[in-house]
Amino acid sequence: MTAKEIIRKLNERKGTTLSVVLHLLVFGYGLVTFSSRSVEAPQEDVIPVDISVDNTSQAAAGIKSGKKENPKPLAEKVAEAKPVDDVQGKVGKTDVVTSTSAPDPTPKPVEKPVEKKPDPKPEPKKEEPKKAEKKPDEKANDPIADALKADAKKTPPKQETKAAPPQPPKPKERTFDQSRIAALLDKRDPTHQAVTGTTLNSNAALGTPTGHASSNVATWAAAFQSAVRRCFNFPYNGLNADQFEADIDINLRPDGTVASEPVIVAVRGPSSTIAQALAENAKRAIVQCQAYAFLPKNQYESWKYIPMTFGLKDMM
Amino acid sequence: MIKLPSLTRRRFMIATGSTVAALGTASAWGQGRLKIDPNNFQPIPIAIPAFVPGTPADGQAGADIAGVITNNLRRSGLFAPIDPAAFIEHINNIDVAPQFASWKQINAQDLVTGRVTRQGDGRLKAEFRLWDVATGQQLTGQQYVTSPEYWRRIAHIISDQIYEKLTGESGYFDTRVVFIDESGAAERRVKKLSIMDQDGANVRYLTKGADLVLTPRFSPSTQEITYMEFGQGDPRVYLYNIETGQREIVGNFPGMSFAPRFSPDGQRIIMSLQQGGNANLFVMDLRSKSTTRLTDTPAIDTSPSYSPDGGRICFESDRGGRPQIYVMAAGGGAAQRISFDAADPGASYSTPVWSPRGDYIAFTKQGGGQFAIGIIKPDGTGERILTSGFHNEGPTFAPNGRVLMFFRDPGGNSGPSLYTVDISGRNEQRVPTPGFASDPAWSPLLS
Repeated sequence: MTAKEIIRKLNERKGTTLSVVLHLLVFGYGLVTFSSRSVEAPQEDVIPVDISVDNTSQAAAGIKSGKKENPKPLAEKVAEAKPVDDVQGKVGKTDVVTSTSAPDPTPKPVEKPVEKKPDPKPEPKKEEPKKAEKKPDEKANDPIADALKADAKKTPPKQETKAAPPQPPKPKERTFDQSRIAALLDKRDPTHQAVTGTTLNSNAALGTPTGHASSNVATWAAAFQSAVRRCFNFPYNGLNADQFEADIDINLRPDGTVASEPVIVAVRGPSSTIAQALAENAKRAIVQCQAYAFLPKNQYESWKYIPMTFGLKDMM
Repeated sequence: MIKLPSLTRRRFMIATGSTVAALGTASAWGQGRLKIDPNNFQPIPIAIPAFVPGTPADGQAGADIAGVITNNLRRSGLFAPIDPAAFIEHINNIDVAPQFASWKQINAQDLVTGRVTRQGDGRLKAEFRLWDVATGQQLTGQQYVTSPEYWRRIAHIISDQIYEKLTGESGYFDTRVVFIDESGAAERRVKKLSIMDQDGANVRYLTKGADLVLTPRFSPSTQEITYMEFGQGDPRVYLYNIETGQREIVGNFPGMSFAPRFSPDGQRIIMSLQQGGNANLFVMDLRSKSTTRLTDTPAIDTSPSYSPDGGRICFESDRGGRPQIYVMAAGGGAAQRISFDAADPGASYSTPVWSPRGDYIAFTKQGGGQFAIGIIKPDGTGERILTSGFHNEGPTFAPNGRVLMFFRDPGGNSGPSLYTVDISGRNEQRVPTPGFASDPAWSPLLS
């Protein structure tokens, strides 16, 4: 068969070939399009987690007695007059205090002025209450302090007269004028919003409407454990409490009540009489804390029989 | 060679059936045993209403018996008797089941009901029932008949029954304590050998205080006490019969004899005999009066105490410098030191006492300007200090080995008092005595 013959035959079947190609294209398109439809992932059950903001803020606050890593820069910054204003505004109360120590060349820890602040007497000495008496002398002798003063002094006289301007208020605040407490407050709007309730968590109930958290074995087993534990208290004042254990089997009704007397399967411990008393006490605890109505009814098959072990670990 | 049982058809079916059953159970539950431990110990709330009077004249006795039981259980630290003012149901007949709902309402875990009746022959009958409030089951019930003057003993016996049923341990309430009653000024203290119930009631003085008495010890099997007395000559070990008041000297040795203690069978007394500047341990058979030397060291060996099986002895010796606790075989031989304090090498250990249960040895430890009472296992491990202070000394075990009594002297013009502490160190209680008191020794259970 020559090439011509092949071409001729193809021409004869052109219609068929075209049809096949088109069908393949359509089929292929369908495969890609329909199969790529996104599969909806089942919604995850939401387990609420308590978030304590307090701890974080306390951690960030540090320890009062902790070592000051860099006390000087604060003073230096303030000495630059204007930038101090911003710092004060940003950080609030505490920085008002640091700014007061600014003219003072001594690298005083921030806390001390705070502690002494309520003291009305140190005020006349103008600067840091603790070392206030020494400071005037130091300033006189210290060339660096003098140099700083030389820069800063241009403003202080004015500051004393003015109440509102950024720097003048600082020396006055040291007097702890109760009538002017409001001036110490940061009056800007809070930068973070209070968010509670449904804004924070739109799921009113545990998990999603289609969730399975309540029927999760780990969840209700833990709930059952803590429910029985509420009634379990054994009088023991010996040592090696962790060596005592009692295995108890429980049969429950669908309503969460105990179907039959709990069965002592085994007891272990250095004293059989104590271990037996422990087992009896455990049986009582199970009966006392029934009914365990929170157990998911649709999972009854999995909890109608619960094997338990009661121990005395952590008694001491 | 181990012979395997032949696999009969029946055995095969049983084995297969149980395997299937186990698999079925496991698959339904789907996890291991659910483990529960108590959060932390809380005394058990128990309700003890006054015993119902069998006759109108028995009202006081009924209230008194319930009062003694309440006091015993509270002092044990394991129970928290509920204030009778909270009771909703008034028990007036112990032969019908109580209304458990009303006892549940006041959170009572257990309930004791009882009746006391003076019988026609003048004797007192006391009955009691212990109820589990949650299940409504009677846990135990007994009745006792005795002379009316022994009503306290009945209360102690009932206390022991309740304690045993709920804790699984033997009780210790029906016991007595022999101790040294101290009175008078510090420099002229009169010391009398005395005996009382473990709760401080029924104090009796056994000696008149003319001579100095020390270290009384109870016989484990008889109503006898051995103690040391400073008479006219050297201090000597004596034997005293509580019932007859008869007193006899133990052995006739040259020099001082001291720190006596009975063997567990009550047939022998082990003690220290002075030999020059040293002291060694000897044991004397009370029947044959034969004496055997147990130690022979140029040191002071004293305060011997038998293990409950009688096979070993713990004692105090300064053979290594400071007083320490040693353990050796009851027949003598090599002794092993068990007390060490790595943190305080200067600490000394004394007055060892072996627990009636055998699991611990109690001691007085002196170090760092403090006297502490503690326990240690006979192999030297598990040391545990139970109480510490200016001056604590002389531990003695309750017969169940769970509670220790000792004396504490606050110093100054004051005098010593008796205290109990359980071996966990949690529950410390002062024992009421008429005056100052020291050197307690706990008796075995009377019944």
